[in-house]
Amino acid sequence: MRVGRALRLTLVGVRTHVSYMSRSPLEITFAVLVPLVYATLSVYLFRAADDPDRLLTAAVGAGLMGIWSSVLFGSGGAVQNQRWLGTLETLVASPTPLSLVLLPITLATAVIGTYAMGATVIWGAVLFDVPLDFAHPVLFLLAVPVCVLSLGMMGLLLAATFVLLRNANALANPLDAPVWLLSGMLVPITVLPDWTRPLSWALPTTWGSRAVHAATSGSAGAGEVLAPMGVSLTLGALYALLAVLVLGRVEQRARAAATLSLA
Amino acid sequence: MPARTPFLDPGPAPADRSPRLYRRIVSAWRLVVIGGALSYRALFNWTTPPMFIGTLLVGPLLQLLFFVFLGRQLQVADDRFYLLGNAVISASTACVYGGTMAVANERRYGTLGAVLLSPRNRAPLWFGRALPYVLNGLLISVFTLSAACLLLGLRIPVAALPGLGAVLLAASAGCSAFGLALGALGLRFRDVFLVSNVASSVLLLLTGANVPRETLPGWMRALGDVLPLTHAADAARQLSAGAGLDGRGVAAELATGAGYALLAVVLLAVFERGSRRRATLDVM
Repeated sequence: MRVGRALRLTLVGVRTHVSYMSRSPLEITFAVLVPLVYATLSVYLFRAADDPDRLLTAAVGAGLMGIWSSVLFGSGGAVQNQRWLGTLETLVASPTPLSLVLLPITLATAVIGTYAMGATVIWGAVLFDVPLDFAHPVLFLLAVPVCVLSLGMMGLLLAATFVLLRNANALANPLDAPVWLLSGMLVPITVLPDWTRPLSWALPTTWGSRAVHAATSGSAGAGEVLAPMGVSLTLGALYALLAVLVLGRVEQRARAAATLSLA
Repeated sequence: MPARTPFLDPGPAPADRSPRLYRRIVSAWRLVVIGGALSYRALFNWTTPPMFIGTLLVGPLLQLLFFVFLGRQLQVADDRFYLLGNAVISASTACVYGGTMAVANERRYGTLGAVLLSPRNRAPLWFGRALPYVLNGLLISVFTLSAACLLLGLRIPVAALPGLGAVLLAASAGCSAFGLALGALGLRFRDVFLVSNVASSVLLLLTGANVPRETLPGWMRALGDVLPLTHAADAARQLSAGAGLDGRGVAAELATGAGYALLAVVLLAVFERGSRRRATLDVM
């Protein structure tokens, strides 16, 4: 498939799935209300810790957590929903590669997750008087979409794994907190045991959240925002490549064993 | 059409009543225990081993670790605060979602009509649904606390263990009643899992499991007072610190649970009547 067509398919797919998800009360609840509760919790904890300078970090961190939750459950549901709707076989049988069908869905879940970022930042500003003094406002507006993009690509690998599993939620449900923790979305990874560092470094979410946090607060220079953004995108692309390979293999096995539609 | 006849029969003599009463009690208990177990197996989507282990055991444990490390970073409270608070609140996943599924999944799978056609008393019918979640919640809390103690080195006095067991049981019971009250909304609203998701997150914030309650504003503390798990979390922390069993805390937890149980029965009765009247019982 030509690059231009693949890009067009991805863009149209993202737009379509974002429209679908924006009409789902459950998606919106996950993307807005639940992150608001976490944002409130973070703000009260940071206030209790006498750390008012980092309230914006707390709100942004809660937003990042919301984006990850959206990707996690959206990617898990991407395959399962098609299975339940009975459209998975049609999608697999279509001439478009399955990875290009699933990528817009996982990207769309990440885009929907940005509602969480908007909601938590506005919530913090309106209710808790959190000053919106971003260290690098322009870079922040760049870092968030980059983070979203790399998360969407990471979601594709999750979705590929979930094709194999009949009950993807069994894996998705417990993956929320460890990625929040290992990526340093709210807690810096320096407080974790040393053996967890390689795990953190291997996650695009770690670099994405590092870029977003560096753009939000502190005395970080522009380089400290741009470098993690680059690493995040590179890792995300690697995850996407791995997902394409895994999906090809999984699809072959599922076709041979005729187990594609078994829920 | 059957005619309504005046009640003239004085009924059996008192001597004959005992076996009948006994049979009724046994029958009600059968409904609670066997009916509850069957509904748990049929309606709780997480009873498969991967879902049970992943969602109900590993998930709460990882959430606990998240809050312990967050607490260590911010130094708002010590490990004990987060370990006990999260061990108590770990029951909420099974209890809140379980209670919701106990009602909402009947509707989703199209079996609600058959259940509500039953002539049996509604209270044992619905309480039987909640009973497995109480035990499930207790199991999860004990697992989470034990794993956390092993991983993070929390020591609990042996003498405190029976009291702690009682506190965790009261917490699970109250939370299951809360879940059943939320599940009752499933008779009226289509997307009841939306409510249970928000409620589950709100418990994290308002029960004091992760945020010291004295740092919250008054209205949030007042809301927390009427939520399940709040008093149990306090009592569990006192017990683990060697302060003995807080009878008032446990009583408050039980009273909160009883309030939600009553609310659940009332809501279920009201919504059942409403859905019969509007013929919307199975409408999704």
